[in-house]
Amino acid sequence: MAKLRISVDHDICVGNRMCETFASKVFVINENGQSEVADPEGDTEENILEAAENCPVSAITVVDEETGETLFP
Amino acid sequence: MVTSITDDMFTGEAIADPYSYYGKIRDEDPVYWNELYELWVITKHDDLVWMTRNHELFSSEFWARDKRPPYPAIDESDMGLYAYMREFFMDWFIQHDRPVHTDQRKVVHKWFNPKSMEMWRPMVQQVIRDMLDEADQNGKMDVMKDFATPLPLFIIAQMMGMPYQDRQFIRSMAEKLLFIGRGEADRMQPLVDGIKELQDYLAPMVDMHMDLPTDEDNLLSVLTSGGKNGVLTRDEVIADAILLLLAGHETTINLICNGTLAFMQHPEQWQLLKEDTLDSPNAVVRATEECLRYDPPVKSIQRIASEDVELGGKLLKEGDRIRWFISSANRDPDKHPEPDTFDITRWPNTHVAFGSGIHHCLGATLARLEAQEAFKSLAERYDKITLETDEFEYQPSVTFRSLKNLPVSLENAAP
Ligand code: HEM
Ligand code: SF4
Repeated sequence: MAKLRISVDHDICVGNRMCETFASKVFVINENGQSEVADPEGDTEENILEAAENCPVSAITVVDEETGETLFP
Repeated sequence: MVTSITDDMFTGEAIADPYSYYGKIRDEDPVYWNELYELWVITKHDDLVWMTRNHELFSSEFWARDKRPPYPAIDESDMGLYAYMREFFMDWFIQHDRPVHTDQRKVVHKWFNPKSMEMWRPMVQQVIRDMLDEADQNGKMDVMKDFATPLPLFIIAQMMGMPYQDRQFIRSMAEKLLFIGRGEADRMQPLVDGIKELQDYLAPMVDMHMDLPTDEDNLLSVLTSGGKNGVLTRDEVIADAILLLLAGHETTINLICNGTLAFMQHPEQWQLLKEDTLDSPNAVVRATEECLRYDPPVKSIQRIASEDVELGGKLLKEGDRIRWFISSANRDPDKHPEPDTFDITRWPNTHVAFGSGIHHCLGATLARLEAQEAFKSLAERYDKITLETDEFEYQPSVTFRSLKNLPVSLENAAP
């Protein structure tokens, strides 16, 4: 599996917590109620991309670490 | 204490200018106990966001948990209707807390994600073109009746597979359901009439979808899949269908209408939008966010305290009613510099027009898409839009910021 670089833009994240429901080991909610990346290898690429796609405000970016390709958005 | 303010939220002044009324409360007593309604009034941006992010403390099960008498008061003889209404609203998935809320929201969440919504953009553009072509024939329109209302209504009805000719019926029922945010003592009858008629209208469609394989291209069918797999009861499917129909247009109507009015009242911002739209697709995106901040379609949201909580030196007791005001949070000077200035270049724009936290608006992407296309089309098509009135009358609602009419005349841009 490709190594992923995942980030959450905290200017945008509204704490909807949907990412957590799709990949709960990868995305955890911090004290401000916003999402943080805890373990980028905590779930399958498919689930991580599904989490990113279902963030209602597109706050999540997923990049393939090796090729530099942006997988989402 | 707030100096010289009435607790009645339905006075002419509070309806006409919620920014002064709730702004005064925000500036003088931001966590305010409204004695008349026995209700906490929350008015600061940071408090609102903190509460949405601590959903364990502030329950969304308002209609299931509220033990106090209705506010504002209703006719004594209408308590039966009130009970019926509560039972109905309790079935909305928006009225649940985790974990039930998450399971129910997930039935339709993917339908509304940004990627799925993008596919609807061409249809939105087409509907707008058709509507404005018609307005051009007359050289004028009522922005509310001829543009802001039919556009989102058309789209949500289309998504849910409702017959084209039913839109007028859906709209008139929606108008009855809007009595939920009003203050008249006899408001229960029209409200419950609207609920019952929509239930009767939707029940056969839901039953039909129950027996058919799920059609991923039909929102009502997708919602009904939650009934097939036991996440939702039949009554809940019907209630959520009404929620989607209602929330899917009533709010966006006000975004388009209030936004257009803001542009008309700030001609230099209108000019800026016209110039910038040509150069950058971001211009209209930012402008739409500023419309959402400046004159938000939803004024306030209710919760109920799940336990005793201290906020701003006040003790909110378990079971206390809470209403937080987007109208005042979006104008909070501690969050937004020069909050009363309409500035379409403001960025980042951290307004809370769609709420925040786990209940953040399901339809936010759709609403943004529709409004962006609406403002862009107006800016591209018209040299000049002139207000044909200087009186602005709003629906007497504590929930919605909704104009009754907005007549304008139109001057086309040179082709
Ligand atoms: C400009 C337009 C809109 C505004 C200002 C708006 C505003 C809001 C707000 C403030 C909330 C939070 C409610 C809460 O915290 O209890 C919300 C939730 C919701 N909105 Fe919207 N809305 C808009 C458009 C839409 C559209 C187009 C739809 C559907 C097609 C929709 C469906 C919903 C639903 C289902 C929820 C409940 C979400 C949940 O509880 O998880 N809204 N909206
Ligand atoms: S889904 Fe998006 S908005 Fe919600 S917590 Fe995750 S990153 Fe934030």
